[in-house]
Amino acid sequence: MVYPYWITKQTWKTQLTDEDLVNEHGHLVVMDKVLEIGGYAAGYCGKLFAASGADVVRLDRGERPPAWASAKAMDLFLHSHKRTVVSSDLDLLASLAAKADVLICETNTADELDQLGFDRCKTPVKVALTPFGRTGPKANWRASASVLLANGGYTHLIGEPDREPLSLPGHYLEFQTGALAFTAANSARWANQSTQIDLGQLETLMSLSQFTTVRWHCAGELRSRHGSDFWFVVPSQLFACADGWVYLNIVPAFWDPLTVFLEQPELLIDPRFENNDLRMVNRDVLHALIATELAHQSTDELLRKAESCRIPLGVVLSFEQVLADPHLQARQFWQTLPVDNSEPVYTPAYAFLQGNALEPGAKRGVSW
Amino acid sequence: MDGPLNGIKILDLTHVWAGPLAVRFLADLGAEVVKIEAPYGRGSQVFPSQPIGGWLGGEAGEEPWNVNAVFNKLNRNRRSVCLDLKQEQGREILLQLVAVADVIIENFSARAMPAMGLGFEVLKRANPQIIHVCMPGFGASGPYHGRVAFGPIVEPMTGLAKMLGYEEDKPMNTAMALMDPIAATHAASAVVQALRKRQLDGAGGYVELSLYETGVAFNGPWLLDTQLGETPVCQGNAHPQMAPHGVYPCQGEDNWLALACQTEVQWQQLCLLVDGLDNRLTLSRRLQARQSIDETISLWTAPQEKNAACELLQHHGIAAGPVNNAAEMLADEQVQARQFFRAFERFNTPMPGNPIHMPGLDPEQWQPCPDLGADNHSVLEQWLGYADEQVTTLHKQGVVHDKPPT
Repeated sequence: MVYPYWITKQTWKTQLTDEDLVNEHGHLVVMDKVLEIGGYAAGYCGKLFAASGADVVRLDRGERPPAWASAKAMDLFLHSHKRTVVSSDLDLLASLAAKADVLICETNTADELDQLGFDRCKTPVKVALTPFGRTGPKANWRASASVLLANGGYTHLIGEPDREPLSLPGHYLEFQTGALAFTAANSARWANQSTQIDLGQLETLMSLSQFTTVRWHCAGELRSRHGSDFWFVVPSQLFACADGWVYLNIVPAFWDPLTVFLEQPELLIDPRFENNDLRMVNRDVLHALIATELAHQSTDELLRKAESCRIPLGVVLSFEQVLADPHLQARQFWQTLPVDNSEPVYTPAYAFLQGNALEPGAKRGVSW
Repeated sequence: MDGPLNGIKILDLTHVWAGPLAVRFLADLGAEVVKIEAPYGRGSQVFPSQPIGGWLGGEAGEEPWNVNAVFNKLNRNRRSVCLDLKQEQGREILLQLVAVADVIIENFSARAMPAMGLGFEVLKRANPQIIHVCMPGFGASGPYHGRVAFGPIVEPMTGLAKMLGYEEDKPMNTAMALMDPIAATHAASAVVQALRKRQLDGAGGYVELSLYETGVAFNGPWLLDTQLGETPVCQGNAHPQMAPHGVYPCQGEDNWLALACQTEVQWQQLCLLVDGLDNRLTLSRRLQARQSIDETISLWTAPQEKNAACELLQHHGIAAGPVNNAAEMLADEQVQARQFFRAFERFNTPMPGNPIHMPGLDPEQWQPCPDLGADNHSVLEQWLGYADEQVTTLHKQGVVHDKPPT
């Protein structure tokens, strides 16, 4: 096995100089060394560490799980600020793990984690990411994100009532798991604890469920799918307009302004729509009325009116429109990434920022 | 409570979903959380209708504001101080609490805290080391910062609606307000990262994140593909790199299972189980023939009970699982074995647990969601040294409350 020069010689510094230890404010800085192994949950966790200033090394074992985007896009998004070593050598894994502060290890099953020697790794903070967790009768079940979304109650709620339920496209589950792994591992680092963390993706999903289980237990009602309609708040629905689609989410406090937005003040005294319960009963009539009103207006017009009436309205945007969105540009949301032999591309920067986006000194992420 | 964040004091001014969920993760990790609630923060004394998740115990009872199931689900492991921030004295008390806290987190609109005279500069004067995390829907700056934001209206703005649905040109929303839990996990991340930064440089700070930006960030791979010349398209339950991949009908009404062949080995195993599948098909051929493959699999699944079919598929190493509703989720053997749902709230209501399992975190220590204002006395006495009579006076003056005003 031939390893890249830098990994055989010296990947991470073992002897730090004064310059390494002190930041511009004269405070002690010890950058985490993070070893990341696995798919897109580990990748997202490593991405958050890298954006926070950690030195992240990804051990690529040559297995690339199926993704919703091209390999190039996934790599640019997840791995841009990391170093990568390609190897499936378990001795190398153990050796790198022994030098790291944090080990993020994602596998397809609990047994696979054991086979990697996870428990023997001498890393202070170790995070095991598996589909179902490390214990329990399904710990070695195979899972895709779509299987976990089905198990975890999401799929049952997405889609039209008279058609098959829809799975959620994209990497919501993996990225959410990665974000929680980052919080857990970083908490342990903050407390200077050596620890081992077991994070199952199914439980991640269920911890993020909206109100489905309590509604079942407390009200005896099973939530079901209703297309784009949120159902319990009316109107909360997608409506076609002249050049696209908009979503209205009119929680009761916004009913009065909605009547202004629709330029139909008489709705305020219409007994069919007096409160949310009645609007639920007369949902179809109300939806038809709104659909007629919105059909001939453009998204720009509707946005302007929604802003002046202060009602919650969102426009369905394409990815091209998201990339061109003036709000995201004004807030310096995009980070430029170089791409071999072609134009640089924009990737979402860290989602949280330190300071106000428009003020000098503001920066994406919280790092030192 | 034990946990890595033990010793951290958090003032929680959050409401609805994203903010309280973020704080729940931090509380589960051991932070000491005081929820600062407005007198009407849980609604009025009389509820016009049942809340969306029902009432703990099934009935509104004498204090309906304290038995809202969703509120209780999100607000465990906290103490409650009900403080009227519209009064100057209420704001003064909040600033006193800020002076001894580590973190204040809120998800008001961008203008709410400054309008109350509680912007970051004011908080910082009270405590130079305070970490202020704010979560306005579109952020505190930029052209949309004044817009009203809720998860369901932000979701289609991220591009997701174009990818979700049965066919192209008919976008769909999840109707699950997915942007809220995305913002929640990232707000929790932001708090911990800000604590680590403060540990190193001694400085607090203002940290901001928005529903919109956290949601857009999750679509990063598609946004990159768009620039690289690829065109991400809505494909229903199909997957661009897996076939078969879908949701298939099972015995009974609205019963389904999800199945995905991630590897060639899984495909070969599936061909052994399902008559009519051609095991010579490569992935690229399967992607082209996905419709007929799905039809063949549907014929096989349709007469089967979904859990039995999934057991059989899993026995052959194929990724498959039942499409569960809420009752089925709660009854799932894996969920039961790991005791993910915990019945520590009143009426033994099962609540989703903490997916982070680590030594020192013990759900047996969890405290149920407190009643509104239940800890007015204990918090003001322990954190600020108030005398019992002082808090009683504040109560009489209407600065602190223990139930919504009539």
